[in-house]
Formats: sequence, structure tokens, C-alpha cells
Amino acid sequence: MEIDAVIDSNIVADAKTEGLLFRGFEKMLEGRSPFDAVYFTQRICGICSTAHSMASTMALENAMGIVISQQGRYLRDIIHGCEFLQNHIRHFYQYTAPDFIKLPEGNTLFETEHNDFRLPKHKNDLIVQHYFDSLEISRSSHEMLAILGGKAPHNHGVFIGGITSQATPEKIARLTSMLQNIKQFIVTKMIPDAYTIAQYYKEYFKIGRGYGNLLSFGCFNQYKMLGTLFVNPLEYSNGRMTKLNPAEITENVHSSWYTSKTDTYTPFQTIPDPDVKKSDAYSWVKAPRYRGLPYEVGPLARMWLCGEYRNGISTMDRTIARALEAKKIANIMLVLLKNLIPNISLQEKYEIPQRANGSGLIDTTRGALGHWIKIENKVISFYQIITPSAWNLSTRSQDQLPGPGEKAMIGTTINNTDLPVELGRIIRSFDPCVSCATHVYKKGNLIKTMQVVP
Amino acid sequence: MNQANINCPNFSLKLETASVLVNKVIDGINRNTMKKRKLVWLELTGCSGNIISLLDGANPDFKSLAAQMVNFIYENSLMVAEGEAAMKKLFSVIGDDYILAVEGAVSTKDDGMHQIIGRWKGQPVTALRAITELGENASHVIAVGTCASDGGISAAKPNPSECVGIQKLLKKKVIKLPGCPCHPDWFMGTLAYIMLCGEPELDDRQRPLMFYSTLIHDICPRRPYFDKGIFASKLGEKTCMFKLGCRGPVTRVDCPLRKWNDGVNWPIGDDSPCIGCAMFGFPDKMEPFISYDTT
Repeated sequence: MEIDAVIDSNIVADAKTEGLLFRGFEKMLEGRSPFDAVYFTQRICGICSTAHSMASTMALENAMGIVISQQGRYLRDIIHGCEFLQNHIRHFYQYTAPDFIKLPEGNTLFETEHNDFRLPKHKNDLIVQHYFDSLEISRSSHEMLAILGGKAPHNHGVFIGGITSQATPEKIARLTSMLQNIKQFIVTKMIPDAYTIAQYYKEYFKIGRGYGNLLSFGCFNQYKMLGTLFVNPLEYSNGRMTKLNPAEITENVHSSWYTSKTDTYTPFQTIPDPDVKKSDAYSWVKAPRYRGLPYEVGPLARMWLCGEYRNGISTMDRTIARALEAKKIANIMLVLLKNLIPNISLQEKYEIPQRANGSGLIDTTRGALGHWIKIENKVISFYQIITPSAWNLSTRSQDQLPGPGEKAMIGTTINNTDLPVELGRIIRSFDPCVSCATHVYKKGNLIKTMQVVP
Repeated sequence: MNQANINCPNFSLKLETASVLVNKVIDGINRNTMKKRKLVWLELTGCSGNIISLLDGANPDFKSLAAQMVNFIYENSLMVAEGEAAMKKLFSVIGDDYILAVEGAVSTKDDGMHQIIGRWKGQPVTALRAITELGENASHVIAVGTCASDGGISAAKPNPSECVGIQKLLKKKVIKLPGCPCHPDWFMGTLAYIMLCGEPELDDRQRPLMFYSTLIHDICPRRPYFDKGIFASKLGEKTCMFKLGCRGPVTRVDCPLRKWNDGVNWPIGDDSPCIGCAMFGFPDKMEPFISYDTT
């Protein structure tokens, strides 16, 4: 992705987030078997493939009128939890930390031009050590995922009814032990490292706020026996929290490279056509809105909405909330593992309905993810996907309101306009995953076109 | 094919292939009998699944690759440099000796404008431009994953961005490592082999025989069920999944032996059929992935 920022007297006067990859998954899905969507949509993103298998399966179950067992939910949610852990650990150490700590010299991958590194050497070196240790821990999270889900990325486990295989006592014991090890790393290294970084970059608690509108579709919630272990579908704006109403979700393509009969539409209404030559557009990312407004989604939104983290809304708060959420997820997974009944078969011979509609809305690592499916003559006739990164990195609609990521950058003071390290730090706090934003992909590497106003 | 060379063991389907080869390279570098090669990892139109899979590699792991085996010049998500500085590093390798690994297909619609990977000297760098400039100049080109190999899911019908596999755009031979994603061992083993002895022995679809020489079906632990005609009627059963649409009988790769994520499991071990993700024509020719109506 690219950030196009206008900087006037060292202040960001305007900023645009531009997603520069298009694949067109929604069009590809038309005519395919509805069952295949579970595996097909995972290929939208190799970093959060499980997220798509979750939303896709839930959309199918909704369309087919299937209510799954609680054991099915526990197993599926444990798989989902593994992906959260893999993601949060990789994002913090491989993508966020290098913005703030100096990685060893002599490795081309670690070279950077900016020099705003503030940690004393011993603290810096400790986090560098954890950077390398974390590779094994995030890998282990994916190994846990594969024990229940066949492989990662692009698991085979999540499916209608819960998962395909069964949890044996051996698997449950092994998963519990691996999870304890991962949790230990999060508690003793990752969370302290996040706070260490925060201590030396205090102004980032004041940078990158955005609108302060937060939204979640809910996750690890409303279990019959266990209640809500994390967060229910909620939205927060103007200091008020209310229950989320999915009917208020729209998407807009005013500033995106698509044309449609109407710029604003509800998820079941239409899929706009790509149009790379559209004037005034600047991104493949569309603009999801709730009650017409841009909303931030992700770990900070969830931790805020469930009441566990209320320090503030900023670049650094996002990073701390992500580390704290990793611990929260590990604890939830331990509860779910404890409640598993081994050797339960969850699968049936499912029949695709002639005609049906369904939606699957769930919070995944990066935030609220929605899949909407229509089935006609037993095949997919329509498929809509609205991803977390589309919420966070959304473009402007007719009202010209910037997307949450854009809003977070505007007004920021840039110390050195030749090396605007602030912009990368702000946008990476949203954990951008722009592949999925446009149902396409380009992660991590931020390219800036700086237009400095004289 | 390759001339006899003490460094070039003739592997046919051995689990330890990748680790033996990688350890030989690391040993050679430590003893100064070999030198580190430059590696460029280009991510084009795909999902990042292959770099994530590479990070999942355990035998040996990513750290061995980056710290001991190669001089890793460019990888868009892991590198710290951004913007023009990153593009400068990428194009700095032209004229030099480097191995190019590519994940993702190449979007060709509208001169490649459906995927821009960066901006260099004010101009957008499309995936199309990147692959043609960096591909022809590389000593070896490795297509990592199904998208780079044959277009994969990025080129799925109706292929809205007109994606193609990288060989379609290059005169130079591409070594293909299909799989969605590519197994870390397939990549590490191939890279190490190239560093030790050059191009490995390939089949007629340019896949290294050491990893792609057998059908999943032939070495599947559930093969006895197939031979006896015992078939699963739904997912989750422990018998042969041929009648659920398993693509093991047409898919060449060593998953049953190697398995995934440090060997903990694989799709059939998860009681779900192989969907043929390493097979030419995936996904369109491998669908439907799940079918209860096969007789």
C-alpha cells in the first residue's frame, strides 16, 4: 500500500491510504459450490486465512439454517484463537517492533534510513533477542492450529458443524501444553516489551487517534454454557456504547476504482465493477460505513468495547491493546480447551439448498469481518466480503470524511519530512493487511509519496 | 541432468531432504568453501501465504535462512526499509548475482495497473514490470506456491485481473514449487540445492523431482481403504475420501510423508479430502473441493 501525504510546515495536512492490488474474489466465487467458499476465501489472505474460513462457514450455516453444537463452536474457536496468537506475535515482533528498535547490523533486511531509535542498548538488545525467539512462538501457534485444522496457512479443519476432525485426549493435552508455553512468552516477554517501547515513545499515546469510533461484530461470545468470554457485537461513538445493528452497515466506492449504479450500497445489494481509469479514485479499498460513519476495528476496539482497556485511542494504545489481547485470547483458549469433550463427531452429510441467503459476521484478528452469500440453483450467485482492513484503511465517501487510518495521520507533526517515520508507525498500528482490504493483497511495506507543501 | 557431485545427493522422496541440503550449505559457508548468495523474495498478486508458510518452517527455520544461508536483500513485509529506499534495494541487484523467489501471480490487465508493488523514481512499479526486469536478470528463478507457478487462485475463473504464472512472462526457465501455500521444506531444499549444485532435476512441469515425484494417492496412509473399497460418506471419517472428491489421485507432491507445520498434521490427517492445491489447474480444475454426491 501507499500513503499519499500532504505535509504543510511539518504538519500532515492531508493523507490518503491507497491499496494497490486487485484480484476480484467476489466475482470469482460466482458459480462455484457454496461448500468450496470455505477453502476458496481463505486464499484471500495467507496471514488471516482462518478468519475467512470462519466467516464463510458461518455464512453457509446461516443460509442453511444450521445451528451448530457448543462443542463444535469451542473447537472452531480454538482454531481461530491459534490464528489470533500467530498474528499478534508476528505483527508485534516482525512488523511493529522494527519501527522502534534497532535490529542487528549486517543484515540487509534490517537496514533503514531513519535513526529515531531511543531505547538504551540493553533494553534494545533484549527485544532484539525476543524478535528472534518470537519466530518459534508464532510458528508454534500455527502448529497448534494444524493439530486441529490439518495445516496452516489455509486450514482444512473449519467447516459446517464446527471442524472436520475430532479432539482426542492426546490432542487436547498437547494443545494445552503448547498454549501454556505461548502464554508464558506473551506474559513475560511480549507485554513487557510493548510497555518498554511505550515508555520511550510517549508522544505516540497522543498521535494517531482517528475518530474514536469503534466497532466489533463480537467473538468468543454468547456461548450457551460459558456466556461471553470476550466481546459482544457493539459500537462506540461520541462516548456512547450501543448494541450493533448489522442492518446499518453499508459500503461506498466514491473514491475507489470501481463503478456501480449506486456509490453506497448494503452488503446484499451489489458488487461494483473494477474501473482502474475512474477519475478522482485513489485506491482499490472500498469504504465500509456504519450509520454512514467511518469506524475503527481491531484489538483496541475490542478491548475498549469489552471494558478491559480504556487508557486511550492512539498509535501506542493500539500496540499495547494488541499485546494485552494476545494474553486474553490465550486465557479464553485455555477455558475452551478445558471444556472440550474428546472424540465427538461433528460432521453430517450436508445438502446445499436450492436457494438461500446468509451472512457470517465475526471479529477476527484485525477486526470485524463479514461474508454475505446468496445461493441460487445450488451454486453461489452472489458473494460479498467486507474485511477489517477495509474498515481501517477505507477511502473517502461523498462526504469527503477520511477513513480511520487517514484521519489518524492527519494533524500529526512530522519531525523530519525527508524521513517521516511517524506515518509508518501510525498506519502499522492498525495492522494493515491490504490484501484483504480490496480482497487483494499487499502487506507491510509502506511506500510514501510525500507532497511537501512549500 | 546434474553431473555427479559429492555435494549433490540424489534424493528420492526423503523426509530429511531439505534439512540435509540446508545444513550442507550452512556448513560450506561456515568453512568458507561456499559463499552466501543474494536472495530477493518478490511478492506479487497473491495472499502472502507463502512467506507466512516459510516463517512456519522448522527444519531448518527461517532464522537459519536469513542469518546463515543467504544475503536476504528484499522481502516486502519483513524488511525494515520502506518507500523509495526499499525499491532502491530491490533494483540494486540487477547486474549482480542473485536468486529470485517469487510468490503470487502477475496481473496483466491494463498494463499491470491492478497491482503496483512500489514507486521508483516517481513511477509506479507494477508486478508485471518487476517480474520482467528482475526475472530475466536472476541466476535462478523459483516460483514459490501455486499462484506464481500456474496462476493459482489469483487467476481463478473469470480471472478479473488477468493473472498468469510467472513462466508465461519469462524466457528464462522457472523452477516451480506449486502448493497453496508452498511447504517451507520445498523452498528451503530447492534453494539449498541450487546453491550447492545448480538446477535440481525437474519433471516436465518444471517441478523438482525430489519433492514432486509421487502421487499423494500412492503413498497415502488411507490407500488400503481405497483398495478394499471402503469410502467415507462425510467429512470426519477415517476411511478413504475418494468419493468426497479427494484429489490425492491426481496430485503429485509428498504431503503424506512430510506433512505440515513441523510435521504435526496434513489435510487428510484432519479427516478432510486433499483439494489438489499443488496441482496444475488449481482451483478451477480441482473443483468441487467437497462433494457428497460422487458415486
